[in-house]
Amino acid sequence: MRIIDKKDFIEFVNLLITKDARTVVGVKAKGDKFIYDELASADELRLDFDVTVLSPKKYFMPPTETLLEYDLSSDFKVMSVNEVTPLIIIGIHPYDLIALQQMETVFRDTYPDANHLLKLERSILIGTNMQNVSPHSFAASMGTATTRYGYDLMLTDIGDSYYVELGSDRGEELLERYARVSMPDESHKKRFEAVINGIVGKFQKKLNFPADELPAILAKTYDSDLWANKAEKCLSCGSCNLVCPTCYCFDVQDVTELNLRKGERIRTWDGCLLEDFAKVATGENFREDRASRYRHRFMRKGKFLHERFGFIACVGCGRCASGCLPDIADPVEVYNTLKEEVL
Amino acid sequence: MMRPGVKPRVAFFDFASCEGCQLQVVNLEESVIDLIDIVNVVSFREAMKEHSDDYDIAFVEGSIMRPMDEERLKNIRNRAKILVALGACACIGGINTLRNRYSVEHVKKVVYGDADMDGNPFFDVFHTKAVGDVVDVDYYVHGCPINRDELAKVVTSLALGKKPEIPNYPVCVECKKKGNVCIFERGGFCLGPVTRAGCGAICPTNGSGCEGCRGLVDNPNTDSELEVLEKYGLRLEDALGKFDIFCYRYKGEISK
Repeated sequence: MRIIDKKDFIEFVNLLITKDARTVVGVKAKGDKFIYDELASADELRLDFDVTVLSPKKYFMPPTETLLEYDLSSDFKVMSVNEVTPLIIIGIHPYDLIALQQMETVFRDTYPDANHLLKLERSILIGTNMQNVSPHSFAASMGTATTRYGYDLMLTDIGDSYYVELGSDRGEELLERYARVSMPDESHKKRFEAVINGIVGKFQKKLNFPADELPAILAKTYDSDLWANKAEKCLSCGSCNLVCPTCYCFDVQDVTELNLRKGERIRTWDGCLLEDFAKVATGENFREDRASRYRHRFMRKGKFLHERFGFIACVGCGRCASGCLPDIADPVEVYNTLKEEVL
Repeated sequence: MMRPGVKPRVAFFDFASCEGCQLQVVNLEESVIDLIDIVNVVSFREAMKEHSDDYDIAFVEGSIMRPMDEERLKNIRNRAKILVALGACACIGGINTLRNRYSVEHVKKVVYGDADMDGNPFFDVFHTKAVGDVVDVDYYVHGCPINRDELAKVVTSLALGKKPEIPNYPVCVECKKKGNVCIFERGGFCLGPVTRAGCGAICPTNGSGCEGCRGLVDNPNTDSELEVLEKYGLRLEDALGKFDIFCYRYKGEISK
C-alpha cells in the first residue's frame, strides 16, 4: 500500500503521458457522460465518474479489428495481424476489472486468442474505487463493487490523497519510476476502510436474493411468460449487448479492396439480440423471434456461462439498463421478477 | 453471378433523383481507377459520353414516377444479369414518396398550375414507386446519398462472384461501436433503432438523429420505436411524422 498526495498524483499522470512509451488513456467527460479516451493532460481525468458509455473492453476487443491480411494478386499470401498499442488505463471501476478478468478467461479457453491476450498482457490497468454510482448499477449485489484482484494499481480517494493498493510488480515499478509516494499511516488506513465500507450503501438497485442463486432460478424459468412479455417492446437493436463489458461475440468478414488484390479478414462486435445473429447459411434462424433472443442474453449471462466457466457473466454495471430505450433490459428487474416466480 | 477473371460490363441509369448517388460514384476519386480496372463501365451519363446497351450489371438510381419510366426500367431489367438499386430513391422511393400523401391531381396542380399536360407522357405520373416495386432487384445499396465504401464493397463482392453483405441490423449497432452517447440522451430524436445500418451511424455521430434514409430493417419494431419517441417527448403525430421524410412507404405497416 502507498499514499500519493493529490498534487503528486497529477504530476504522476502527466509524467506517464509525457515520459512513458505507452499510450495513456483515462476517463474523460463527454457531454454529461463519461468515456475512455486518450489523455492529453491529467486535467482531463475524471475519477469521479459514475460509469462510462463503453467499458475498457473496447481496447482489448476493439469494435472492429483486423485478424489477417491477404493478397490475391499472385500466389495466395496471407499474414496474421495483431495490432497492439500498449496502454496505461487510468480509472477502471472494480466491476469492469472483474469483467476484464472474465473476458480473459473466455479468450484463454480452448484456443487462446492472441489478439485479445497480447493487448491485455502489454497494458497496465489502474483501477479506482467508485466515488459515484450510476442509478442503474447493482454491482454490490453481484459482488463486484470492490475487488482484490485484476489491477496493477488500485486508487481510492481518501480526501487529500489517494490510497494506492499494489496489484502487481508492474504497478509497483510504475509508481517507483514516476510517482512521489509515502507509506500509509493508521489515519490513512482508517479513512480507506471507511470509504470502502461506504461503497455498498451507495447503490440504489439491488437483487432481492444472493446472486449465486441465479443459475438455479434461471433453470426453472426458461418457460416463463416474462420473456415474451418483455420482448414485445424489444427493438432488437443489440444495444444491451454492445455496451456490455462481458459480451464477447463477434462476426468475421473478409473485406477485399476495390482493386481485388489485397484484403483483410476483420472481426467486429456482434450481439445475440440482433435478428440475424443465429441465422445460418441455409437461411434457418435458430432464434427467430424477439422473445427467444431476449431470453438468451439473460440465460447466457446467468446460467450458460456459469456452467462453463463458474462465474455469472454479469458484473452489475447497469450499462444495458441505461442503454435500453424501451426500458426492458434491466437485469435487476428481470431477475427479481423471476425470483418471485420460483418462490 | 459473374464469371471470375472476366470484367463485368457495368451501366448506370437514373430515374427521378438528384443524381447525388451517381456523384458519389464519381467521388470515389482515386479508387475510380481501381473500379474501372475490375469492371468495364459501358454507360454512365454522369461521367462519360459513350453508351452501350450490352451490360451485365445495371446500377439504377432514382424512383419510378411514370408509365414511361416503368417501361424503360423493365428494358434495363431484361438486359441486365444483375440489377442493383442505388440510393434511397431507388431502394425505398426516398424523398420522392413525400408526395404520395397527396393525390396525383393535387400535386400536378400545385407544381404546374393550369398548364395543359393532357396526353403528354412526361407528365403522366402516378404515386412514386421504388425500383423494387416494378422489377426484381438483386441487391440494394441504401442511403441518401449512398456510402461510397459500401458501394465499393458491393462492386467488389459482385466482381468476386460473392453475395454482397447488406446489414440487417439497426444503426444503433454502428453508433454503439463508435462509443457515441445516445441521441435520445442528448435531447434529440432518432430513427436509428429501426433503420438499417451501413452508414457508419454518420448522422448520430455528428450530433443529429437518424432520419431513416436507408429504410427500415427487415423486421423493425416500429410500435416500440413510436413509444420511445413519445416517451422522450414527441406527440404521436410528430413521432409518426418522423417516418415521412424517407420512410413514408412503411407508414401503412406502422400499426399504431
